[in-house]
Amino acid sequence: MSRRVAVCATAQIKNEPDIWYQRFQGMLFDCFESIVSQTGVTFDMEKGIRNVVTCSDDVFDARTISDNGLTDVVGAHFRGEEKTAQDGINGIGYAMASILSGHDDIILLIGHCKESQPESRHMCTNLAFDPFYCRPLGLDFLNASAFQARAYMEKSGITEEHLARVVVRSRQMAAKNPYARKNKMVTEQEVMKSPMLSDPIRELHAYPLTDWAAGMLLCCEERAHEFTDNPVFVTGFGSCMDSYFLGDRDLTDNFALKKAASRAYQMAGVQNPKDAFDMVELNDSYAYQLPMWAEGAGLVEEGEGRRWIENGGMEANHVNTSGGMLNGNPVMLGGLARALEAVHQLRGEAGDRQVEGAKKALAHGTTGPAGQHHAVLILEK
Amino acid sequence: MSTQSPDSFVIDGKLALPYQYFAGRTGSRFLTSIRDEKKIKGLKCEKCNKVFVPPRQTCERCFEDISENWVELENAGTVTGFTIIRYEEPHQPFKPPYILAQIKLDGADTSLTHIVKGVALSQMKTGIRVQAKFAKNSTSTIMDIDHFRPIKPKFELGYSYDELEIGMSASFTKTITESDVYQFAGISGDFNPMHLNEEFAKMTPFGTRIAHGALPQSLIAPVLGMKLPGLGTVIPEITVRFRKPTYFGDTVTATAEVVEFIEARRWVKLELTWTNQRDELVAEGHAIAIPPTPMG
Repeated sequence: MSRRVAVCATAQIKNEPDIWYQRFQGMLFDCFESIVSQTGVTFDMEKGIRNVVTCSDDVFDARTISDNGLTDVVGAHFRGEEKTAQDGINGIGYAMASILSGHDDIILLIGHCKESQPESRHMCTNLAFDPFYCRPLGLDFLNASAFQARAYMEKSGITEEHLARVVVRSRQMAAKNPYARKNKMVTEQEVMKSPMLSDPIRELHAYPLTDWAAGMLLCCEERAHEFTDNPVFVTGFGSCMDSYFLGDRDLTDNFALKKAASRAYQMAGVQNPKDAFDMVELNDSYAYQLPMWAEGAGLVEEGEGRRWIENGGMEANHVNTSGGMLNGNPVMLGGLARALEAVHQLRGEAGDRQVEGAKKALAHGTTGPAGQHHAVLILEK
Repeated sequence: MSTQSPDSFVIDGKLALPYQYFAGRTGSRFLTSIRDEKKIKGLKCEKCNKVFVPPRQTCERCFEDISENWVELENAGTVTGFTIIRYEEPHQPFKPPYILAQIKLDGADTSLTHIVKGVALSQMKTGIRVQAKFAKNSTSTIMDIDHFRPIKPKFELGYSYDELEIGMSASFTKTITESDVYQFAGISGDFNPMHLNEEFAKMTPFGTRIAHGALPQSLIAPVLGMKLPGLGTVIPEITVRFRKPTYFGDTVTATAEVVEFIEARRWVKLELTWTNQRDELVAEGHAIAIPPTPMG
């Protein structure tokens, strides 16, 4: 590879259950200003940002072409602007492609989602299903995940106790992350007794409703020094989309994640994912997904997710030091949040949760029902 | 929904757009076949040997046009996954709780999502067989299949070998009358006067008429054949040792209890006891039972 892509800066606001006091434009503008002030990047058409990649969702914003509502506050007027309506981590893949192709030197990536504004986030995700065969039955991302949770738990032997450990740990880790949603600490007993939402998914197994915005400045390796003394490099990216209909898929085979991971590993030259990474961030919208995605990404052998939890694998692999999606990020940004945490760790800026000497990290994102689409990103110091 | 703040308006909105989704030729044929013929159809990719439902025009694996390869599926299938919806939301078809399931119809290689009714929520299991029930009034949508229901077997078979446990027991009780004894004499041809002639019976050690031994013994048949193991059982062996006579008017209880598994043949051994209203042991013995095996 002739060029590498550097992450020069990240910015985010705190994840909150209901940012009623600020429009999403304001949330984005805070991130935008932070990136500009950290890097001194300009919008000079020769030397500055000529292309902005945004991430937002029409239904969550209740407006079509949702990026139209924000281009002015992210400096996108009079230059290129591309919107990704998938998890924001795909925006990093997009930025990478733009830079490696030589199309652009610098990309500003910025995304938002406010889950608090629609009457129900599940009504929004119901609209992700086809209007003929699935939508009338009330399918949404929660109950689609419940199908997957039951199938995976039956196959893997993961029990309520394992899930409770995942949830309790997520909240403990998040307590050390100043950007994480502030949640009540819970005990394993409380998790196992929390109300059932969609069997076998309980209320505390599901990521809580969250509003958030985040951004990132990416640029080609040669020019990274203009914006930072502490760049982190994107060395691998892969993504894969599984079938549209849930019934076409084997919900437990991690098909798309395996493909996404193997593409990213090939690009980054990762031979053995089990010991390749100093820290890992997985997009666990629901507790069962943490061990399942760990299997799919090859961090543990297939079918070993249960023992991985029992034997302290989450700690040994430094998984989800941010608290994970499970602690609260909005849909669309779970993977981008994972990438931001990985950048924090590699830059040595993760405070109380810092993994000492972290040099190589994996960040993972997923979009669509029950992990239909996966993206895997490898970042290196 | 957002809280009203002192210096910010919140404008209520509703993204609602009356719209007509075009089902396409392939989707239309699927939906009209459900509506007009009460038949669920799939599309087969001959190359991949795979039958898809819901329908689609092209095989996603090999890109063959499969839009004319309709195959009729059974309106019955197997539940491959399910969840019980307990959270309430406006986009749901019913008020929760209800069962949403993935159903693999017989003849299809993919699952269809639909509602399952007619089974207790706590009893819902993956693997049960269900049948489509069609809506009384058509809406020309997938909801023309109103829901799926478990297929009730014609006969409720007894306990299979795997369902039986040591210590399970069952019994049957009946009062033995003079008329029972007369009928049994007719059935068996055993007109022995000790059962029928009071004057003769006075001379026997019992001093009065008694029932044929096989009459109370036979009361174990409804236990083994209809209760434990139950319907579908075959009994290759019963042994009995008679302990007390049964007088006319005695109420006899025949009891069977599972005591042993004969693993090599997947048979069970049951201990048998017959008692009367005086708690006397009328007879005892054992039976070997071949429990029913699930049909089909």
